[in-house]
Amino acid sequence: MSDDEEILPQSLPQPMTIEPQPQPLAQPQPQPMASVPQAPILPIPQQVQKVESVETRMATAETPVTGQARMDTAWGSSEGDEDISQMASISQTDTGEIFKQNYEPWRGELNPRWMRNWAILRHHILGIFKKGHRPWGVPTRIFLVLVFFASLSDAALTLLSSLLGDSEFHSYWGVNRDNLYGHVLGFFPRNVMYYPIVAALLVGGVISEDRLHGTSALYFSRPINRFDYVGMKYASVAFIQAIIIIFTLFLYYLTEIMVFGRGWAWIVDTFPIFLGALMGGVLLIITYTSIGLALSSVSKGKFFPGIGLLAIILGTKTLAIIVKNLFDREILYLLSPYDCLAHVGQTLVNTQPTYDQYSWTWSLASLIVMNAIALYVLSSRVSSMEVTRE
Amino acid sequence: MALENLNLDIKKGATGLLGPNGAGKSTFLKTILGLIQATSGEGTVLGHDIRTEGAAIRARIGYMPEYDALNPDMDAINQVRYSGELLGMNPIVALQRAHASLQYVGLGEQRYREIKSFSTGMKQATKLACAIIHDPELIIADEPSNGLDSTAREFMIDTLINTVKQGDRSVLMASHLMDDVERVCDDIVLLHKGKLAAQGRIKDLKAIDREIEIHVWGGASKLEAAMIQRGMRVRREGRVMRIANESEDLTSEILLCASQVGAQIRRMHEYEASLEDLFLVIMENLGYDVKSSEDLFSHPIHARKVDAPGHMGGGAS
Repeated sequence: MSDDEEILPQSLPQPMTIEPQPQPLAQPQPQPMASVPQAPILPIPQQVQKVESVETRMATAETPVTGQARMDTAWGSSEGDEDISQMASISQTDTGEIFKQNYEPWRGELNPRWMRNWAILRHHILGIFKKGHRPWGVPTRIFLVLVFFASLSDAALTLLSSLLGDSEFHSYWGVNRDNLYGHVLGFFPRNVMYYPIVAALLVGGVISEDRLHGTSALYFSRPINRFDYVGMKYASVAFIQAIIIIFTLFLYYLTEIMVFGRGWAWIVDTFPIFLGALMGGVLLIITYTSIGLALSSVSKGKFFPGIGLLAIILGTKTLAIIVKNLFDREILYLLSPYDCLAHVGQTLVNTQPTYDQYSWTWSLASLIVMNAIALYVLSSRVSSMEVTRE
Repeated sequence: MALENLNLDIKKGATGLLGPNGAGKSTFLKTILGLIQATSGEGTVLGHDIRTEGAAIRARIGYMPEYDALNPDMDAINQVRYSGELLGMNPIVALQRAHASLQYVGLGEQRYREIKSFSTGMKQATKLACAIIHDPELIIADEPSNGLDSTAREFMIDTLINTVKQGDRSVLMASHLMDDVERVCDDIVLLHKGKLAAQGRIKDLKAIDREIEIHVWGGASKLEAAMIQRGMRVRREGRVMRIANESEDLTSEILLCASQVGAQIRRMHEYEASLEDLFLVIMENLGYDVKSSEDLFSHPIHARKVDAPGHMGGGAS
């Protein structure tokens, strides 16, 4: 055969095909029941079956390779000349939407400054009692509750003395000059184990954690100025301390009045002492809060401010005791916040002073200086807090 | 970084704020938030004076900070609610809006989880929810897609686009990711060393680099000279030349020049710069005295020379 010869198509024998012939099935013949009247046979409504619409597209690079396509490629019995548009198909089904992003506008009005400040105060105070507000640590909450009830011990013992009717017992625990002073400024256990630790736990992360977590940006990108921010933080820490120190003092005084049926004469006689103790308590709260928040503002995290506050309160007190015992000089008391508070408190309550080498005004001046320094540090640090980056 | 002679007019819609580190982006954001007092000059944001009405501005702006700004021990719903209360919203209203905001940013199912258990993308979404809780007119998003994986990044970008288009809000987006800016924003503001380097529509700005790129074999210098003689703006790096695409029959003119000087053009294609290219061109080659896209168009051609060595036709030594 030459190269120029045409290869003519030969007629090929037809392949034998075996096609099963469908056999009609024998239909059961219904037997009419002669005695039963025939009900008209209604046409059964055809259930419209929803068929998934399948749109066939030309396969492209983006067309997913389905299992069917792979199987056809590997095991298909045809010659490979199929229309490739049938090789892969994309099922167009109504899938529904689980998540639909809709921007919902809000047309409300924002409340003024006092509402924003109330939000900060509320956030911190309610955080002690319930979830969803400032997350105080569980040890802090437990300790606050314990100290609250421990601070009520004198009220409880006053109640007990009235129940027992023992006047000597009452003279130990009932309301008098020394006990009112002791409720607020007594060194052991209240100013060793209770109040400084409460202050340390509270101030620990109040500002420093805003630095740590960057939540200061949340405040300062809102219409909140630095004064409101630090003022409300200060107020909330002071308020929680006031519940423990001042409120329990009030309950103690009230218990005495209620259980012993004290009259106006007794109240007039003792109320100035109560007020003196209350003022001593206010001074203590202010001083501890100022120093504590100043420490909180210079750090990130709650450990340093807490330990720092305890070191300042108890460390200076210890140092003053050592110096007094070694050299019989009380001058270092002026460096101790607790000693200055106690000295001023004794004057306010007019109880026996234990710091008799120096005038109480020195202690008051020292307290003012301590608070001024602490507030200066606090304000300067808070004013430098960033909204963009710490 | 101090801002100097910054004269900006940002329109409604999405605007990208670009600039290298230290360009003054953060200072700019703080200035428009009313947190920094401008020593001179004046400005208004949403009609409020930036010098005296910082609080009023911040009440109408939603700020999404770049860095972590969430308390990890709070759950998302209460964090967002608190951010609304800090704006002055009633607690009940703030809670309702917190639900809506978290749903919008895709955290509807995770809103009661503590933030410390969130991924970076979920934290970013929570910050966005905090920013939009009061439906602000302007949302400032500082690096919104920073540190996100591709899925979370897509979602964040889509959310911002949706906020602009469906919500009809304005977004000022500071980002280093040019692709994201290009997708979300129509306009850009480019800062460098506290000065405005460029401002305008991305489409217009990109037009400055719409060029025809040719690869030449033999007679490249002659071809370059011929094209310049015909008034074309040419920049060259060896055998590769880019000619500013300013006329409709530019390709014909290039081919005509090539046939006249006997140079072979072995490849010719249109070249459109990405925003990143544009950024580099502006930053590295234009100097920093450019104020708008018009200035960019009118800038002398020699300033746009690529940084190739001189003997290869570039401007660098």
